[in-house]
Amino acid sequence: MTAKISLRHVGQEFSVRASKGAPNSLLVLDDFNLDVRPGEFLTIVGPSGSGKTTLLDLLAGLAKPTSGQVLVDGHEVTGPGQDRAVVFQQYALFPWRTAARNVSIGLEGTGLNRRQRAAKAGEFLDLVGLSGFSERYPHELSGGMKQRVAIARSLAYEPDILLMDEPFAALDAQTREQLQDELLRIWRETGKTVVFITHGIDEAVYLGQRVAVLSSRPGRLKAIVDIDLGEREGESDIRSTTRFVEHRHKVWSLLHDEVQAAQNAGHRKVLPDGSAPDEVPANHPLLAQRSAA
Amino acid sequence: MSTLTTPRPAAPPITPPRRDLPLPPPLHKKRSTARLALRGSLTTAATLLWKSAAILLFLALWEFGPRYLASESTRVFLPPLHEVLIAGTDLIATGALQSHIAASLTRSAAGFSIAVVLGISLGLVIAWYGPLHSFLNPLLELFRNTAALALLPVFTLLLGIGEESKITIVAFAAFFPVLLNTIAGVRTVDPLLVRAARSLGLRSPALFRKVILPSAVPTIFTGIRMAGTSAILVLIAAEMVGAKAGLGYLITNAQNSFLIPQMYAGILTVSLLGLLVNVLLVTAERHFSRWRTSINT
Repeated sequence: MTAKISLRHVGQEFSVRASKGAPNSLLVLDDFNLDVRPGEFLTIVGPSGSGKTTLLDLLAGLAKPTSGQVLVDGHEVTGPGQDRAVVFQQYALFPWRTAARNVSIGLEGTGLNRRQRAAKAGEFLDLVGLSGFSERYPHELSGGMKQRVAIARSLAYEPDILLMDEPFAALDAQTREQLQDELLRIWRETGKTVVFITHGIDEAVYLGQRVAVLSSRPGRLKAIVDIDLGEREGESDIRSTTRFVEHRHKVWSLLHDEVQAAQNAGHRKVLPDGSAPDEVPANHPLLAQRSAA
Repeated sequence: MSTLTTPRPAAPPITPPRRDLPLPPPLHKKRSTARLALRGSLTTAATLLWKSAAILLFLALWEFGPRYLASESTRVFLPPLHEVLIAGTDLIATGALQSHIAASLTRSAAGFSIAVVLGISLGLVIAWYGPLHSFLNPLLELFRNTAALALLPVFTLLLGIGEESKITIVAFAAFFPVLLNTIAGVRTVDPLLVRAARSLGLRSPALFRKVILPSAVPTIFTGIRMAGTSAILVLIAAEMVGAKAGLGYLITNAQNSFLIPQMYAGILTVSLLGLLVNVLLVTAERHFSRWRTSINT
């Protein structure tokens, strides 16, 4: 079986403008190799600064790797494409558009007329359980509802691959569990390939068929854990089964050393534009300026 | 679980009016409801009175102050309100006030429109091309901090005392708020939205039209509102210096002809006109920023 997504020897370097003088280069991903199977639900966990978001940007085509190749269906990724969709942690809905018009934005320019687009938006809002909310503006929706709209928006133009960057991290625990179950249902119904980035081990084990564990910076693939929780249907509280706990512990042990290593090295998040404000030493004059501003 | 997942179309929040609240025993029902309704309308009236109290007090001071407090000589320069209103009515009756208003409005509308069109289109171009922005920004800062009225002599020398110089100075004064707010609006677009739009496959022209422009509209409208205010202010000043019609001319001309009540009628008209323009522009601004309401509150 050929891989749906294939990362080959991918390296990503940023020049960081943290200190004065020549920009430092920062190796975020190094010789990264990973294959994602078609129709698979893969979750990715890793310590802060291990390049999870960078990885997603590369897959989405929002950034180009410094070295190596990112292949989707055997073709190199050169930019964003309608075969892939991204769901962001902060929803990223367009606040001046209603829920329905947010969902249909990816359909504009595809030859569908306004009526057809609206019908399709309604269909996908139904899928995420938001029928009746199509004329609401994002500010009239709760966090969970916003993320549902964002999911509907990414599904509406029917991509093969769904890329999700900690999509449920900003939600409360109850809403998160609810959306996790809905995501699994949608995944089963639609058969998409899902790459789901998270910092929650429970979430990774609960959702993923496989969990990819990244090393601390520079990010490499440390291990892939196959998750087999058995028959899910009928199991009311899967998170407290022995199987779940075993898998969870396995991922935790793999991650634990890396988190420790990352903390000791003081690695923090690097922003998408390549700046890493947290990388500035605490007594650096730039930092004082920043806080004064 | 199922109750949680089924969407509940939330009804719009209904706040029942006060008089619909718990009903008292039937015997007193009629009287109490009436009393509550009365209390409700009394509260509204009181709020209304409180809100207009400052203006009413000011008008009262204007009417009675000159009559009882001012000395004889001062009263000539500070006529009571009713004399001003009579002068205003006379001006309306002869049609003079209308023609002055028309002259002023034509000029400020022309200058304002030029400023809005130029300001928005140039602002979009400058904001979109980073190098152009860093190249022009120092010059724009210099011009912006030059008081428009300080340039009035320059415009008069170059364009004469006719309509051109007045429209130009209005356009100049109104141009910078629009331009700078357009630039700010485009440059402060949430980068996350741009990322999301790019991931949805939007390329430059569509990205600009569907994401950057709509997200900048509220900021641009703030600039337009500021431009509207300064358009009127600057025009009145320009008309006072050299014009044969317009509200600024009316005021200075009345002063020179010692028609003091007429002068105050002119000033009052300017205030009301400014207020009207501002209300219109605020309404428009609010209309275009509806989606932003939750962020602001």
